[in-house]
Amino acid sequence: MLMLLGIELLVRVFHVYTERPERYLDGYDVEKWVPNQTGLSVTGNRKQNVGKYRINQFGFNSVYDTYDPKGDGLDVALVGDSFIEGFHQDYNNSLGQKVEHYMGDKVKVWEFGYAGYDLADQLHLIKAYDSIFKKMDCTIIYMRFTDDLTRSEYKISNRLSLDTPVNRILKEIKTVVYLKDIGLFDPITKTVGSVLSLLKGKTDGQGTPQAPDKEAIDEKRLENFKALVETYGYDKKKNILLLDGRLCSEDFLNYLKGNGFKTIDFSKTFLASETPTDLIYDQHWNDHGRELLAELISNYLKKKG
Amino acid sequence: MIFNSIEFFIFLPLVFSIFWVFAKRGVKTQNFILLVASYVFYGWWDYRFLSLIVLSTLVDYVVGRKIYASQDRSHQKKWLTLSLVFNLGLLGFFKYFDFFVHSFITAFSFAGAKMEHQWTLDIVLPVGISFYTFQTLSYSLDIYRERLKPSENFISFATYVAFFPQLVAGPIERASQLLPQIDGDKKFKYDQAVQGLKLMLWGLFKKIVIADALAPIVDDIFQHADSYPSTTLALGGILFGFQIYGDFSGYSDIAIGTAKLFGIELMSNFKFPYFSRSIAEFWRRWHISLSTWFRDYLYIPLGGSKAGRTKAVQNIFIIFLVSGLWHGANWTFVIWGLFHAILFLPLFYLNLNRNFLETPNLFSSVRTFFVEGTQILWTFILVTIGWIFFRSETLSNALLYLKRMLFDFSHSEYHHPNGYRMLDYYLLLVGFSIFEYIIRADERNPIGFKNRYVRFLVYLILIFIMALFYDDGVDRSFIYFQF
Repeated sequence: MLMLLGIELLVRVFHVYTERPERYLDGYDVEKWVPNQTGLSVTGNRKQNVGKYRINQFGFNSVYDTYDPKGDGLDVALVGDSFIEGFHQDYNNSLGQKVEHYMGDKVKVWEFGYAGYDLADQLHLIKAYDSIFKKMDCTIIYMRFTDDLTRSEYKISNRLSLDTPVNRILKEIKTVVYLKDIGLFDPITKTVGSVLSLLKGKTDGQGTPQAPDKEAIDEKRLENFKALVETYGYDKKKNILLLDGRLCSEDFLNYLKGNGFKTIDFSKTFLASETPTDLIYDQHWNDHGRELLAELISNYLKKKG
Repeated sequence: MIFNSIEFFIFLPLVFSIFWVFAKRGVKTQNFILLVASYVFYGWWDYRFLSLIVLSTLVDYVVGRKIYASQDRSHQKKWLTLSLVFNLGLLGFFKYFDFFVHSFITAFSFAGAKMEHQWTLDIVLPVGISFYTFQTLSYSLDIYRERLKPSENFISFATYVAFFPQLVAGPIERASQLLPQIDGDKKFKYDQAVQGLKLMLWGLFKKIVIADALAPIVDDIFQHADSYPSTTLALGGILFGFQIYGDFSGYSDIAIGTAKLFGIELMSNFKFPYFSRSIAEFWRRWHISLSTWFRDYLYIPLGGSKAGRTKAVQNIFIIFLVSGLWHGANWTFVIWGLFHAILFLPLFYLNLNRNFLETPNLFSSVRTFFVEGTQILWTFILVTIGWIFFRSETLSNALLYLKRMLFDFSHSEYHHPNGYRMLDYYLLLVGFSIFEYIIRADERNPIGFKNRYVRFLVYLILIFIMALFYDDGVDRSFIYFQF
């Protein structure tokens, strides 16, 4: 017991654990972070990457307290998942801040990032807060083709279950948070998972299901994209899709091009980079990757006037 | 099953509990539990190869009894020959068949003859075969040399051969040391069990923190040896030295510690070899169970050092060559063995091979610090050069690596492609070396600090560092499993 307490003390003193804010569902059924929280997001066993986050009054990680574009310059909304949320960086060095740095004083980038958001979440958010997004001159939506088009309509996610009372208590035991993050519990959960799936498979009397082929999956993603745009609306004049073309199917890219969707494809920029664009032990963009993206977005915005 | 797996963390407490709950029923029950556990432990990897262990056990059990029962020396010799042919044949077939066929074909192709590689069988190497065949061999040899009586009980003997803590990577035990313990009634001793747990913790630390953490860096440097500067190549050699030490001595510590939990003492396999002041001392501290095996069952029977200088030199070459070949069917290991033989010979000629029998104490005087410090450093450099042969995939790779490292000086700071912070690793190795120096007097009691607060602090720090350097993406198997 004393040993566990000692380890807990070391984990806290060296702050090797990561912190995560609490979630909630607002009146528009939009999932956000509980406003006004701050903390440190830590990646890697030995604090390879540390970023301070600041949840604003609206419920997203941002330097701005609220979203109230004045219209005295260019107002850009940046919507996306954890890549845009940017817990892996200091909140005042976010992608949005970098774009502002490139663009100068007359541009404000308003960030709406939330880990796990897919296109359904994003379009639902834009529709729900139409009053805010109408004031924007443009909205950049970050979309990962492989992850963000798995459904055709918005439903409240089960991410909120991560904030159950038990999980909240476990989050207070920093050793558990840390060990879970470095993957020490993975062998146990994998073993339990495979035993459960084995038992389930046996009781169901079913064999291993055949994995659908890639073409069929890509086709389904395109269908989902069309359905989401149809259901929630999509302003082709104002909205710009930020995407990694390497992950997209050719049909999808052709569809976007043929139907007048504006895009910023960063695949070539990342491919050309000699230094890594992602973090260690993590798929998110590192500072260099965000710098490249900020430059790319800024050039796009400047070019389009 | 490997020691650093979730399966073993379930397996060990289970076997420990069953063993001590039924221990009062007597030795037969104790050994039966250990034997079943050992077969489960091995079968977890591949149950089909259990048949080889059982066969080897049967052969040497019968041979041992036949040798002992016979009064006729020539009869005894025949039975011993059977054991030798069977065990070495097993080893030769599974480990060296493809190697010798390849070498044979290569040799003929040099002479102009064209031969296809169709004779090779791509045989799977059964885990631990080099360890348990040597163990069974020593049993028959000791009975033949009238140093041991054969085991009365087959279960006891089978437990001796398959005892799971040391089955797949040693220490290679002698029947005369291990069998009496297995035959005896095992009593639970609290102090012995605690010491075992400490050794297991220390072994696990060496495996997870030293070996596994360095593995991806070493792999990268050796894979791209043709493009890295010479200082990076030197770094690769040094890091591999730490990696293999952490890996193998870590395994040995866990094995010795696990055996202690069952009331059994295994022999020490490592005694802080990187504090050696000469190559001869290094070989008294590195993989002790193998080097003493070769000394007792090969070097001395060949005449050792008493058969005249020329013969002794020949014998030294033989044991280093065989020792190299024991590690694997590759010319890199043969050259590694020969390299050490060449380093050992001058010491032998100058009668310096028995120097440095006492524990090094660098801080006893300023002179000692500089003299012995230099000797330790020089020995470490030589051993590191040897490791380059050991680690390289082929002989030509090793030679290229050495050529670039020693004769093509260039420097630039090393960065791992994954972006690891190298400073973490440098600090780790400095800290590890200092700690090893502090505990160097007793390899069987690494956390033997008398003050309970200091002990607590050490446990705490070790566990914390294990978490800091744990990498779930790394291959966690032990290097010596392949030998």
